[in-house]
Amino acid sequence: MAAGRARLAVDVVMNRLEKQMSTGTGNDLEGERLSALADGELDATQCAAVFEAWRGDGELRASWHAYHLIGDVLRSEDLASPVHRDVSLLRGVRSRLAGEPVVLAPAPLDRTAAIRRRGTTWRWSSAVAAGLLLVVGAFTLNRSAPDGTATETVIARSEPSPTAAVQPLPVALAAPDAAPEPVLANVEMIRDARLDRYLAAHKQFAGSSALGVPSTFLRSATVESGPR
Amino acid sequence: MKATDADAPLVERVKQGDVKAFEMLVVKYQRRIERLIGRMVRDVDIVPDIAQETFIRAYRAIPQFRGDSAFYTWLYRIAVNTAKKTLMDMKRDPLVTESARASRTDDDEPARAESEVSDGETPDALLASKQIAAAVNFAIEALSDDLRQAIMLREVEGLSYEEIAELMNCPIGTVRSRIFRAREAIAVRLRPLLDTREGERW
Repeated sequence: MAAGRARLAVDVVMNRLEKQMSTGTGNDLEGERLSALADGELDATQCAAVFEAWRGDGELRASWHAYHLIGDVLRSEDLASPVHRDVSLLRGVRSRLAGEPVVLAPAPLDRTAAIRRRGTTWRWSSAVAAGLLLVVGAFTLNRSAPDGTATETVIARSEPSPTAAVQPLPVALAAPDAAPEPVLANVEMIRDARLDRYLAAHKQFAGSSALGVPSTFLRSATVESGPR
Repeated sequence: MKATDADAPLVERVKQGDVKAFEMLVVKYQRRIERLIGRMVRDVDIVPDIAQETFIRAYRAIPQFRGDSAFYTWLYRIAVNTAKKTLMDMKRDPLVTESARASRTDDDEPARAESEVSDGETPDALLASKQIAAAVNFAIEALSDDLRQAIMLREVEGLSYEEIAELMNCPIGTVRSRIFRAREAIAVRLRPLLDTREGERW
């Protein structure tokens, strides 16, 4: 027990000495964090700082490359790749990434507040999208009630546009994954009293072009909400 | 267990919309992916294109990556599929590759002869690779025993910091610091070889 504590103390001193002996200065802390991140051993609380630093610090980016190149070479010498080859691949990927929509996966709820906020936005926009869908769906059903498949196609096709209009960040990639969600929400929404209230409240817009839709459509929505 | 989710923080960050974090994954895996593709296609000149396509596809699909497997396993599969698809497209439309080859020989006369070298690397590139490997080996030999043992246990044996701490009888913080200092010591020796030409930046 006591021996263990003594060893620990020696380790702490050694650690400090070794740190002092190393050549670098202020960058060491970030470098060591970067190194730990490379091994997947960095505390989640410290990761964000490293990501931010990596973004703006060319030296850290060079270190990140060097650390991984070293690891690759230690495992297998045929992975020793000339640096210009690595740089040119990264540049190619980078320039193509610039043209890609930013990916945004719906995050689980136990993440940070920022993500939770984003999640709320997403749920909100799905709700709005579902609401619009219902209206469009009702319209379509009204016009082509016997043809059920045609209705479905219209719903499916009209889904992404309201979402994109509400959500500032493109989520095209998350869409296939989340596609069933709005439809499900739609089914639930039909029985939702709040939506009925919403539709009732917006009847006042009937005939006006405030919602930017043809007046024929609003007339039929009014007719439909009547019998409920 | 740790080894499989070493990329989890990076993947999470990408999913939150940080494209730069995806670049970190590219830098980490580009060499392995290029080697993998190089073993599948004969024409070495198209390897970088397929590698690039692989990373773009991975980026597009990353919202669907659930972490059921390690990130690299998932990326590996995308690389294999991308290479296969490219090979099939080439078989269907050989003119594309033919013209690509023709334009390359216009630019650079000796290219054709070099592409017949078995592993497809130019002599310059081969030399550069050999120099890098030699520098790493030399630097590893020059390390103190503690530093060398720490980095070898991590990089070659794939142990976690906790396991290394147990083996080396020291706190995890010391392992972390030793691995970092080993990497820095090797990187210092590598730096002359890694200086990018024409102000190329990472």
